[in-house]
Amino acid sequence: MSLRELKVCLLGDTGVGKSSIVWRFVEDSFDPNINPTIGASFMTKTVQYQNELHKFLIWDTAGQERFRALAPMYYRGSAAAIIVYDITKEDSFQTLKNWVKELRQHGPPNIVVAIAGNKCDLTDAREVPEKDAKDYADSIHAIFVETSAKNAININEVFIEISKRIPVVEATGASSGKGFKLGRQASESRRTCC
Amino acid sequence: MALQGSEELGEQVEEPEDLDDQDASSISPAEEITLPPGPGGDEESEEALLLPWDRFSAWLHCICVVGFDLELGQAVEVIYPHHSKLSEKEKTSICYLSFPDSNSGCLGDTQFCFRFRQGSNRKSSLGCFLETADRDAPPCLKREQGHYYGYVYFRQVRDKSLKRGYFQKSLVLISKLPYVTFFHSLLKIMAPEYFEKQEPCLEAACNDIDRWPTPHPGRILTLPIMGVVLKIRIPTCYDKPGTSQLVHSAQSDSLVSIVLPTIHEVDLFRCFYPVFFHIQMLWELVLLGEALVVMAPSPAESSDTVLALVSCISPLRYGSDFRPYFTIHDSEFKEYTTRTQAPPSVILGVTNPFFAKTLQHWPHIIRIGDMKQAGEMAKQMKVKKLKNLKTLDSKPGVYTAYKPYLNKDEDIIKQLQKGVQQKRPSAAQNAILRRYFLELTQSFIIPLERYVASLMPLQKTISPWKSPPQLRPFIQQDFMRTLEKAGPQLTSRLKGDWIGLYRHFLKSPNFDGWFRNRRREMTQKLEALHLEALCEEDLQQRIQKHTEVEAVDLVLKLKDKLTQAEREQLPLRPGTITKLRSHIDAVILALPEDLQGILHKPPTP
Repeated sequence: MSLRELKVCLLGDTGVGKSSIVWRFVEDSFDPNINPTIGASFMTKTVQYQNELHKFLIWDTAGQERFRALAPMYYRGSAAAIIVYDITKEDSFQTLKNWVKELRQHGPPNIVVAIAGNKCDLTDAREVPEKDAKDYADSIHAIFVETSAKNAININEVFIEISKRIPVVEATGASSGKGFKLGRQASESRRTCC
Repeated sequence: MALQGSEELGEQVEEPEDLDDQDASSISPAEEITLPPGPGGDEESEEALLLPWDRFSAWLHCICVVGFDLELGQAVEVIYPHHSKLSEKEKTSICYLSFPDSNSGCLGDTQFCFRFRQGSNRKSSLGCFLETADRDAPPCLKREQGHYYGYVYFRQVRDKSLKRGYFQKSLVLISKLPYVTFFHSLLKIMAPEYFEKQEPCLEAACNDIDRWPTPHPGRILTLPIMGVVLKIRIPTCYDKPGTSQLVHSAQSDSLVSIVLPTIHEVDLFRCFYPVFFHIQMLWELVLLGEALVVMAPSPAESSDTVLALVSCISPLRYGSDFRPYFTIHDSEFKEYTTRTQAPPSVILGVTNPFFAKTLQHWPHIIRIGDMKQAGEMAKQMKVKKLKNLKTLDSKPGVYTAYKPYLNKDEDIIKQLQKGVQQKRPSAAQNAILRRYFLELTQSFIIPLERYVASLMPLQKTISPWKSPPQLRPFIQQDFMRTLEKAGPQLTSRLKGDWIGLYRHFLKSPNFDGWFRNRRREMTQKLEALHLEALCEEDLQQRIQKHTEVEAVDLVLKLKDKLTQAEREQLPLRPGTITKLRSHIDAVILALPEDLQGILHKPPTP
């Protein structure tokens, strides 16, 4: 079985729960009083996908504005980006759209994009309708899930979906991160969205 | 065994995961790989005790940004983390040493390193912890005691918006660790980002470093920094010298992860290229701790050459002071350049033309031309007479009156020359040269090792009831006599005055440092053997025949032994300490109750 390192970055507004998602995925724990991230924090987790081991090198970036300019260091070379918004904050969904634009302009051409609407346990306070987000995700051919790091909903699923979209390495041993192009996606993956 | 270990580790870089694990998704994110556990292996629990900034401090003292102020000149603009302590004197040193000395036209980005004396004695709260980690490091990779290294990334670019017309700034890492290649690679990642993105970038980098595992020899360390993962392995003193430790994995994207094959080795061939014909003589000069100065056109070339010199006698540790880049502003300038006494045993790298005059009286001077104008090598065959060195405009070469003890090895020169003609890759040339130096140094040092090992008292002279026997003294004549039969001729075909070389070496600081280190190791071994012998005794039975006073005396002595064993980390067989503790307890329990109470009390510090 071969091991592949896949760089994954998490992007999104401050406080939407990027670190909580990573903590839930890696450590399977949740801390409501997590400190704001400085720069970015790094964690890894290896999962089996078919005949490969996917080792996710996860860069969980800071959402605070003063670290905004550092983002390219983290999405550079990434095989996938998980852009997170908070379903109870309309603003955070707007920020997400800006991240998509930035990735399109400056990100790796084949990066796999996943959109995670976090805090889906707080339905009473919902501001972003699931359908709007899903339509948007479909329009850019991104993976879409609503998640709750707190209740461990759909966290592993995001990463499984990412694994599915990471193309198998060719025999030539080409580098990782050959994903689907933003905006131009194979029809097969479109089916999984609908 | 060490070799086997390293091969295993080499493979594990590519597949660090435990593939036998059924549930692959549950593999922990922390994946430092440990060597077979050495003595006292509780590192993981120790790491858990580390406080914020402890991990950072284990790698770096601080990070400085040095800029140029039109009124003040060079100034430290930022020190990160803000609580790091630097004396004014240290700051001044860092300021001068972080910029090219003269207008050497370093346009663009330059990397070099310097070394400076630690101003005040600052005791790290981590001291004990770091010593444990340092114990397994080879001598030349141990943490510096009284000096800091400064690793510099200097940028100078035209900028019309600035009054001076230029942007000039250095990002400097201050550390006690001599991992020159590692820190240069680190700066190559950090500095360009910093110059663009300023402080948040430093904050992020420091935060990354503060979550690194501590620099522990023998493990493969995964070091995330600013979006990239660096993988390194710090060699141990048990490795077979000259074996490469990490292998590049086939699939590697430098934006994702970077495997550094070495953390400290400089490219010897590139550094020695301008003075290539004299490498063997330079090896002797370094081995003997002779005063050497490298005059180079830029700090990068001066520091590379000095580092190459210092490392050419590896695995021996160069015992004297060395300054990869030294300026007229250095606090040791007077001390090192005075004419009232013989030049000190140091190696200096300088770029300021002023030194050509100041150090005119030095016995050995290496002049390096611009390394970019290569191909001149073949002409510089002859060693130049010192009187010919007048100014920095003098021709490149080695200026000395020194007559090497050993005959010149023409084979290595030919081999390397052939490599140049055939355009052999620099890495291969470097490997050839490195191996050559290693074999030469080993041929030289093995007879000494063998003789010193014979100074160890026989095991049977160790008695638990007497103090441990003393090492026999080093007697030069005795050693010289061993050379006839077991000298370097066994491993080296080089002829020449080996005896003369040894005689000279025995007076040098390098011998002093080497012997002191050996003696300490052997004394500790003796202490350990003694303690083990003591633990094998039936102490209770013995106590029964003795008075109370003698029993108390024994307890106190044993307690001393215990403290010593723990403090010095004696190389004991596993379980000895536990055994000793239970012995102590047993003897105490055999005493009257009032005494028991007193003796059980932990010793007051």
